[in-house]
Amino acid sequence: MKQLLFVLILLGVSVGAFSQGKYISKNAYISFYSSTPMEDILGESNEAVTILNGETGEIAFQALMTTFHFKRALMEEHFNENYMESTKFPKAKFTGKIEGFTKEMLKNPAVEVKVTGTLSIHGVDKTIALPIKLGMENGKLIGTTKFKVTPEDYGITIPSLVRDKIAKQMEVTVKAEYQPYKS
Amino acid sequence: MRHIQTIFIGLILLVFSEKTFSQDLDALLNAETKPTIDYSTATFKASRIINGHSIEQMKAKQLDFRISHRFGTLNNGAYGLWGLDQSVIHFSLEYGLKDWWMVGIGRGSYNKTYDAFSKFKILRQSTGAKVMPISLSYMTSVEMNTLKFPTRPEGAKNYFSSRMTYVNQLLVARKFNDKFSFQLSPTYIHRNLVATELDPNDIFACGAGARYKLSKRLSLNAEYYYAYNPNNKFTSTRYYNSASIGIDIETGGHVFQIMLTNSQGMREGTFIPQTTSKWFDGGIHLGFNISRVFSFQK
Repeated sequence: MKQLLFVLILLGVSVGAFSQGKYISKNAYISFYSSTPMEDILGESNEAVTILNGETGEIAFQALMTTFHFKRALMEEHFNENYMESTKFPKAKFTGKIEGFTKEMLKNPAVEVKVTGTLSIHGVDKTIALPIKLGMENGKLIGTTKFKVTPEDYGITIPSLVRDKIAKQMEVTVKAEYQPYKS
Repeated sequence: MRHIQTIFIGLILLVFSEKTFSQDLDALLNAETKPTIDYSTATFKASRIINGHSIEQMKAKQLDFRISHRFGTLNNGAYGLWGLDQSVIHFSLEYGLKDWWMVGIGRGSYNKTYDAFSKFKILRQSTGAKVMPISLSYMTSVEMNTLKFPTRPEGAKNYFSSRMTYVNQLLVARKFNDKFSFQLSPTYIHRNLVATELDPNDIFACGAGARYKLSKRLSLNAEYYYAYNPNNKFTSTRYYNSASIGIDIETGGHVFQIMLTNSQGMREGTFIPQTTSKWFDGGIHLGFNISRVFSFQK
């Protein structure tokens, strides 16, 4: 009886730990930028969702492709129709873990940390390491990152006809302002 | 011993819960991601299926410059280079005032016609948070024939209003999947002046159009307009239903549409009630539309 109680308490504690110490941002910013002499393309979304586990240093990030907006309506159409195939692959996702995570990281001023994990775009998963700046800025927990992706790595082919207008590598920028998660 | 067992079970459970942890984070992420309304985009590649309007229109602050040609009929033979010696042209500027409202003006060499139209989105096909099985738009246009009036007998008058034709069209479309889209276009046309008493001033017609995507940038289109004209057999000029087949080639900001059609006019007031050539006699016109989109979005 005692054992069972002990086990249950332990389980309760660990389950309780799930909802505690989590941080969320429901309108994180994500953009990708392609720059060539012919044309600059900027796609932006303010509707990405990210969750940070303050106990373990795990990060999950998700953006729906259809929330990206562009200056030109045609770019948006081509982005969804021809490149991302958004009806087939509606979201881009990253799940990873901060290397050498300590809880103090969330209280101290922002420093650069390394996060390794899986980036999933266009239905293709790749293991990558991202440099993320994480910490307190003006009393808020902020996470930012900037990194490059190559469309071809994710099975996105760019026809030779428009090759000059689309950069070999896209610059991805992310900014999230985390709030304590309340379930 | 009992204690060790307890701790062991506890540890297993802890490990187990740790394992499910990232899945838990995943589930949470999905739960927190707002459900979106996913509107169907690119039901057709351009604002025309071939001759007639498609459900597509310019978004706000986008300008479409279109140039179209229809050559003579293939049955001209080698003497007329299978129709290429002769061509009619239409060009237009078409602009999106709002995402749901576009307007356009144009000029065609066929009957020296000026035209203006307005197209409105009423329903948009969507899935997700809101489900709508079809897209629905309304298109209305006026066409002004500016050919010189024929000489009339002494005392007979020509009226400016005789030049006008009015078109009203509902466009009902569905994108069935990534490749196949279909549209029905019930149409009502009023012509102020017609050639003979037997020609109706009011014409009811229904168009059917489809596209099948062959690759990401290439699609096969077909379009047919059935026009109801009860006295057609008795009029001096016999009119046929407009039937067309073509391909769309998309290259960034351009869409090229190349087609074979029995209509030489490029506006509803001409190709629906006044198509005079017949596919089976080789009365087929080669033609193309070029669409170039400019963005004025800041």
